[in-house]
Order: sequence, then C-alpha cells, then structure tokens
Amino acid sequence: MSVPARSAARRWLGEVVAVFVKDWRAELRTRHALHTLLLFSLTTLLTVSTALGPLGVSPSERVGVLPALLWIILLFAAAAGLPRSFVHEEETHTAIALRLAATPSAVFCGKTLFCASLLAGVELILVPLYVAMMQLSIASAGGLVVALAMGGLGLAIASTLLAAIAAQAQGRAALFPILAFPLLLPLLLLAIELTRGAVEGVMPDAVLVNLVLYDATMAVAGLMLFPLVWNP
Amino acid sequence: MNPGPASALAPAVDTRPPSAIWRALGWLLWLWIALAIVGAFLWAPLAQAFIGQSSRILFFHVPMAWASFVAFLAAGVWSVLYLVRRDADHDRAAAAAVELGLLFAILATVTGSMWAKVMWHAWWNGDPRQTSIVVALVFYAAYLVLRGAVEDPELRGRLCAAYAVLGLVVAPYLYFVAPRMASFTLHPQPVVNTAAKVDVEIRMLTVLLASSLGFTALFFWVHRLRLRLLRIDARKNTRT
Repeated sequence: MSVPARSAARRWLGEVVAVFVKDWRAELRTRHALHTLLLFSLTTLLTVSTALGPLGVSPSERVGVLPALLWIILLFAAAAGLPRSFVHEEETHTAIALRLAATPSAVFCGKTLFCASLLAGVELILVPLYVAMMQLSIASAGGLVVALAMGGLGLAIASTLLAAIAAQAQGRAALFPILAFPLLLPLLLLAIELTRGAVEGVMPDAVLVNLVLYDATMAVAGLMLFPLVWNP
Repeated sequence: MNPGPASALAPAVDTRPPSAIWRALGWLLWLWIALAIVGAFLWAPLAQAFIGQSSRILFFHVPMAWASFVAFLAAGVWSVLYLVRRDADHDRAAAAAVELGLLFAILATVTGSMWAKVMWHAWWNGDPRQTSIVVALVFYAAYLVLRGAVEDPELRGRLCAAYAVLGLVVAPYLYFVAPRMASFTLHPQPVVNTAAKVDVEIRMLTVLLASSLGFTALFFWVHRLRLRLLRIDARKNTRT
C-alpha cells in the first residue's frame, strides 16, 4: 500500500473509532438507549416467563418455541433502542456537524459498531437470564454464542441503515419498526433456526452460511446506500 | 402563465392527455382482457386434480401475482434511476408503480386465499408463497408510509429510493430462505418452473399467457394514468 493510501485508511479508521467513542460517551451521559433496551427486554422476558413459566412449554416443544421467543424479545428490544443513535443526532441538531466532521462510510461503520456493542451488552445480560428462567438446556454453548453474534451483527447493520432513514422522517422512532420488520424477517428466521441448532447441539451449516451472507449483503448495501441517505 | 423561479427548478414534465394512438391502445387492451376472460371461462379446459371449477382461478391469480412482480421490479429500477439521475419524475414513477404493485399483490393474495379455502380447506396455511407475498405487502406498505412521513420532495425521493433498493437486496433471501425453512409446500409448481418444463394443456397455456400479457399491459396503462396525475399534482404544487 502506498503512503497516501495508508494514511487515508488510517484517517478513515480514526473517524470510525471517533464516531464509536462519541456515541458511547453521549450514551453514557443519558443512558437512554441502554435503559430502553435493557428494560424493554427485561419486561418482555418477565411477560414471557410469567405467561409460560419454565414448565408452560412441554419438553417436546421447547426447541421449537423458546429460541423463537428469545429472538422476538431481542428484535423488539432492538427496535425500541437502536434507532436512538440517529434520532438523537436529529433531535439535538448535531447531524449537520457529524456530516461535516466524518465521511459517510465512517459514520455508518462507527454507528454500526456502537449498535452492535450495545446489542451484545444486552444479549450478555438477557440471554443467561432467559436460559435460567425458562430452564432451557443448551447443548452447544459455542453454537449459541455464534448464533447470537451473527444474528446481533445483522440486526445492528440493518438497524443502523434503517434508523438513518427513519430519523429523517416524521414519526422517527415509531416509523422504525414498520420499516425494519419486513427486511429483518429473513435474518430473524435464520437466527432462530441457528439458535435451535445450538439448543439441540446440531449446528446447521447451511443456515450459518446464509446468515453470514445476509450480514455481508446488508453491510455492502449499507455502505453503498448510506451515503445516499445521509448526504443531502 | 408566468414561469417563475419555482418552475425553473422543476424540469418540464409532460402532462398532456394521451394521444389518439394511446387511446386506441387502451381500447385494444379492454378488448384483449375481455377475450381473455371469455377464454378463461368458456374455452380453456379444467385442470385435473382440482376441485370443481377452481382451476380457472389460474387465469387471474397468476397474472395478478406476475403483474405485482413486474410492478415491484419496475419500482426498483425507477428507484435506482432516481438515485443515479435525481430526476423527480423517476421518483414519481417508482411511487406509482409501488401503489399499483400493492393493489395487484392484494388481489393475488385474496384470490389465492379463496382458492386455498376450496382446495386446502383453509383460508391461510402458512405456505411459503403466502408468507413471501405478505412480507412483500408489508414492505411496500411501509414504503408508502415512509413517503407520507417526509415533507421535502428531494429528501423523500432519496429515502424512499434507498428503502426500495434495500428491499430488492433482501428479496432473494425472502424468496429462497423462507420457502427453505418450511418443510413442505402445497402450492402448485409455477408454470415456469425449475425443471424448465411446461406441463400445461395448450389451450390453458394460451389463455394464461394472454391474460398475463393483458395484466402486464394493464399495469403499464394504469401506471401512465397515475404518473400523469402525479405530474399534474407536482406542477400545481410548484406553481402555488
């Protein structure tokens, strides 16, 4: 790599890290998204566990039902909290400053990293609680981590792009779930299938490949479309 | 008429009424579709293994689904064109195509559901094809909600076009992944199937193709009307 190219790459990486750090710093001041995500997932978890209880689902149906419920909780928690990263920029009118300060692809990557880390934090708290409260026995813990990581990454990438769209429209946060659900459905189906595989201890490789492909497709589409959505 | 600064910004669009040739083509289209309807009920034979006359829905249900597919594809193409050229007319064309595609998709869903009630004894079966068309319905309905939620035409065009393109990107996963997830499908094999074999009686095939062509032409014809209406609206708004 030539010297100017290397310095450009370093500057771009610096911008990504700066956006990521800025988002976390702003988040830790109000903890708005963090609280929304955590409380939303906890209240839904409580609803699920009081409605069904650990014994409410018969053992033969557990593999089918429980992973689906887990991902539905995660999806709704993400829809409640993740659009915050862009809605906040529009509400405080800092979006213009951000447009001037960083290249669009760096903003997209930084925000995606922020969403992914936020979601990972929530998964870290929610999933052990879910497993304990629903008495779900996991055959392959590594498989579960892979399913949660790849599913969460896809959720973060898609949410970042869609939040950038929703934040610039009226209705903002309320618009986000309407826009996101049809696009997230394939991801959700794949993630549920992979989680089922982890619970049973048989990882379906084809599903994992499809999930990775979905994440990669979303990342490429995001990098191409985000500058068009972000720049006037 | 005074061409002020507003009309200088908006490029001139053609809002003239359709020419005599177009009107004649419109009448020809009516005749064509009427013939297809007559053919569907009187000329084409019934398919085997279908309850009663239910196989005749083929000549309407399949063309509707096809027309909605053409409409959504056209909307995708116009959205890409808008993102490249930033011509407001491409944005209007995409919006009109989505509206019509949604209409055809609703018709296809309803007719399919009626047929499912006859053949499968249930309005809704969770069949992969039912799932994928309903997700398409929700997606394009969300597209229209997004259009309604943005005031500025330029921003609306950009956001909606990006959303439509994203839909095109995800569509293959919906078509290939969702059916794979289901363990079975009851839906009859598409006429143009993976085996590249057409196993339909020749009269049925003729009516089906004629009807599909008619519905596709109907889409483009109504699209022309709708686009003209949207152009007139846009011109009216720039004048005031």
